[in-house]
Amino acid sequence: MKVLIVNNMEPFVWGGGEELAVNLQRNIIAAGHSAELLRIPFAYNPPENIVSQMLMCQNLCLNNVDKVIALKFPAYMIPHPNKTFWILHQFRQVYDLFDGRPEMQELKKLITKADNMTFSGASRLFTNSNITKDRLEKYNGIKSKVLLPPVNQPELFTGGDSQAYIFAGGRINEMKRQYLLIEALAKTPSNVRLIIAGPPDTEKDKDQLLSLAEKLEVGDRLKLDLGFLPREKIADYVNGAQACAYLPLDEDSLGYVSMEAATAGKAIITGADSGGLLNLVKNDITGWVVQPDAFELASVMTEAICNKQRTLEKGIAARSLWNSFGATWPKTVERLLA
Amino acid sequence: MKIALCTSFSPFCLGGARNIVDWLELTLLERGHQVEKICLPHVDDPKLLFNQMASYRWVNLPDSIDKVICFRPPAHVIPHPNKVLWFIHHIRAMYDLWGSKYCPMPNTEEARRFRKALISADTAALNEAKKVFTNSKVVSQRLGKYNNVQSKVLYPPLFQAEKFHYARQNDEILYLCRVEDHKRQHLLVEAMAHTRTAVKLRIAGVSGSPRYVKRLRSLIKKHGLSDRVVFNNCYVSEEEKIELYASCLAVAYLPLDEDSYGYPSLEASYSCKPIITTTDAGGVLELVQHNTNGYVCEPDPKALAAAMDELYSDRDAAKKQGVNARQRIEELDISWDNVVESLLS
Repeated sequence: MKVLIVNNMEPFVWGGGEELAVNLQRNIIAAGHSAELLRIPFAYNPPENIVSQMLMCQNLCLNNVDKVIALKFPAYMIPHPNKTFWILHQFRQVYDLFDGRPEMQELKKLITKADNMTFSGASRLFTNSNITKDRLEKYNGIKSKVLLPPVNQPELFTGGDSQAYIFAGGRINEMKRQYLLIEALAKTPSNVRLIIAGPPDTEKDKDQLLSLAEKLEVGDRLKLDLGFLPREKIADYVNGAQACAYLPLDEDSLGYVSMEAATAGKAIITGADSGGLLNLVKNDITGWVVQPDAFELASVMTEAICNKQRTLEKGIAARSLWNSFGATWPKTVERLLA
Repeated sequence: MKIALCTSFSPFCLGGARNIVDWLELTLLERGHQVEKICLPHVDDPKLLFNQMASYRWVNLPDSIDKVICFRPPAHVIPHPNKVLWFIHHIRAMYDLWGSKYCPMPNTEEARRFRKALISADTAALNEAKKVFTNSKVVSQRLGKYNNVQSKVLYPPLFQAEKFHYARQNDEILYLCRVEDHKRQHLLVEAMAHTRTAVKLRIAGVSGSPRYVKRLRSLIKKHGLSDRVVFNNCYVSEEEKIELYASCLAVAYLPLDEDSYGYPSLEASYSCKPIITTTDAGGVLELVQHNTNGYVCEPDPKALAAAMDELYSDRDAAKKQGVNARQRIEELDISWDNVVESLLS
């Protein structure tokens, strides 16, 4: 089968959605099919160009393609008679993030109508999380099935001997709140160490962490590995950690950082307001769910390091909970191509 | 610099402009630029042409991209203040092939209006570009003739050309490319029947046409050439290819009226081997000069046979032509340095 994966592209930006598309392609090929990736440029700004970009997608033509797997708005509007949707998110600014601005009213109506038309004929409609599923049902009245994205290259996350550090991976920005972990570190005993690794979104995000580390004088217990790292390097950090921490604000999905931690059998520290992560992080079972403030975080970081045996048990529980979801690439490809 | 490379493609079909775009991407990355490749699908059907052009026109690229380089149509209509074109062909059925058997549209009043609208849209998009480059003189001439647009020829180089080298001269004329009707491997097989020396021929490559492959095989058999002609209808790996070029006596490349000189001509030149081509090969004639770096023959088996015999008999002359072929690359300034300098300056 010739499968075309259709995704958006914001030129020069690479993130979780892009990784998912590339790994989907790789795994479709591994299942014995042909797969190519189509990335259609899309810019949120200015908003008055959104309608023309929907038309852009609707007027593209395809032949020599047996199946399309469509991932994002508005790329999923590309016409094809055999289209499977795996919706990572809709255009949230006119749905759950709608702010009521009058100039967005028209756009909201138009996008809702176009989305409804796009999905109405769909025989195969998946979403990447319960939250995306609920939104699609609430705003468009359309039912879908949840298909959790698997971990990419799970073979890298083997786990391993725990050293006395907590690892926080992923993109670094205000919403991911790595700065809270540094503030918390300052309140922990001297045997607690922290590694933060990943690409800062902006120079400001980077400077914030650097100056905080200096101000709180935690330099000797903190390692900052800032930048875009090879997957192997990230896996090394995860495999050697005693526990992992990930505190995004209201994330839609389980979060790759926490999924990779669970794959490696590591306990996870997260925030009570971290959204989709709470499906994977169960307090005192697979990790710790705390109020996102430095005091509470400091207390569980200390516990994670000082009570090693209990932490290891939680890590094993995290792995078995994740495995129970059955999100593997071979199964995912099978369901998408069925 | 942040550079976007924009082109059109047909899903699950290799070839077309993919080499030139992929190689430029690698070259720019090597030189420390940030590159994003934007490849959008295109279906070759006049009925869908304007819808698809509208799609490309609606592509919304941020101004923060320093340079947008567009290749295959309709990518040239993508708007951007810093657009440069490396234009490799028109939608030819509507241009130079209009009215020929390759044009699917009947010559009606409606079709003529359609063509006029396309030409004026193309011209407008071409005029937006900061600079227009082409891959051959013939494409530049067409741009002048149909769109009244001035352009500069920027010859596409080979990627990692230094891998090609001279090792020896065996007795083979090598024809290494896709095995298709319009590449005319059959002319060489027929020429072999007219040769008077022990010169040999090697044809290798994949094919989309089983009928043509069968025709070649039966020609070889008919002329009793199986001891002097090797025909491998298969994919040739990069390593094998380099070795074949390094060892052959000379290279043949005789497509029917192609726009560009073709990568086989460049591979031959980097391997210091003379090139046999024909007077009707199109862009190949921008590279090959008769009796200097090869032979430009009439597209006729006897003329080709004479050239092959000459190369076989006078090895020193063949060697000298091969050296000239290598120099011809410098003469035409076919290099990535020149490409990068031209596109980014």
